[in-house]
Amino acid sequence: MATLQSQLDEIVADDEDLSRFLTSSSQFNSVGIKLGAFLPNPKDRETSVFRHASEPRLQLWQLASEMVAGERTVHGAAIVKAQHVRAAKLTVLASEPPPRHAAIVGWPWIEADPDEQKAQQKELAALIASQATFVPR
Amino acid sequence: MWLGYASVNAYARGGSAVSTEASALREAATAVVDFAERSEVLFGKKATALSSLCVLSKECSEKDWDGAGALPVDLTAVKSAADFVRALPESLPLPEFAVDPDGAVSLDWIQSKTRLFSVSISASNRLAFAWLDGSDRGHGVAKFTGDQIPRRILEGIRGIVGHGHAAVAA
Repeated sequence: MATLQSQLDEIVADDEDLSRFLTSSSQFNSVGIKLGAFLPNPKDRETSVFRHASEPRLQLWQLASEMVAGERTVHGAAIVKAQHVRAAKLTVLASEPPPRHAAIVGWPWIEADPDEQKAQQKELAALIASQATFVPR
Repeated sequence: MWLGYASVNAYARGGSAVSTEASALREAATAVVDFAERSEVLFGKKATALSSLCVLSKECSEKDWDGAGALPVDLTAVKSAADFVRALPESLPLPEFAVDPDGAVSLDWIQSKTRLFSVSISASNRLAFAWLDGSDRGHGVAKFTGDQIPRRILEGIRGIVGHGHAAVAA
């Protein structure tokens, strides 16, 4: 099987953990992750994630610092298994560089009705968020 | 205004009525005071919510606020979200706010991981909403004119926060 720059397999396995770094305290609460944290970027139509579990924690936050932080505060990470993303009928693809980067793609896109598109995306994002775990920094 | 409220309040809480007219006047004054106090409590909660919306808007006012290419929060959406909060019936709990990557404002009522209702407010006058209720889930779109919350959305919120059935016609 082909390997990537990160030495990870090109295929993201179902049981792999995906991390979505959270830069706003409004993306989570005491219950868990809010669905907005998983909505796609409107420009590239994908949700950017990193192939990393909650442990080792030091490496997780190092990845966050290198890939996301900049001037931003990273409040934590939402961790979800690839299989839960696929259960929502979305696709997880390795997308390097940068190392360990992956993308959640296949979101509903309806040019003629962006509000219906958004509603469909929210439902799928809610499904993913319901399976995600919050790891505070 | 507060001097007037204080005077009415003192009258409503005060002394002994000696006539039918005085009694009726005192009842009316009591009703005014009760309404004013309820309004103050309501305004206080909504004012706090609107203040937190304002803080969040500032936090997400620059593009790429999420480190993944998000658009800055849309100020028209913020205004509509404030209108939505003002129009919420006092019997409903206030939502939590978040900003979506497309710059819309999300209003969330979250009871648990699998029991929630979420409305996204963008610059358009149509609201995108979705809900999870155990194994039931769905989504929809409804028009918002700025002063009256669509019935489907009110029913959906009530269903999730425990005041009715969660099923919403999408």
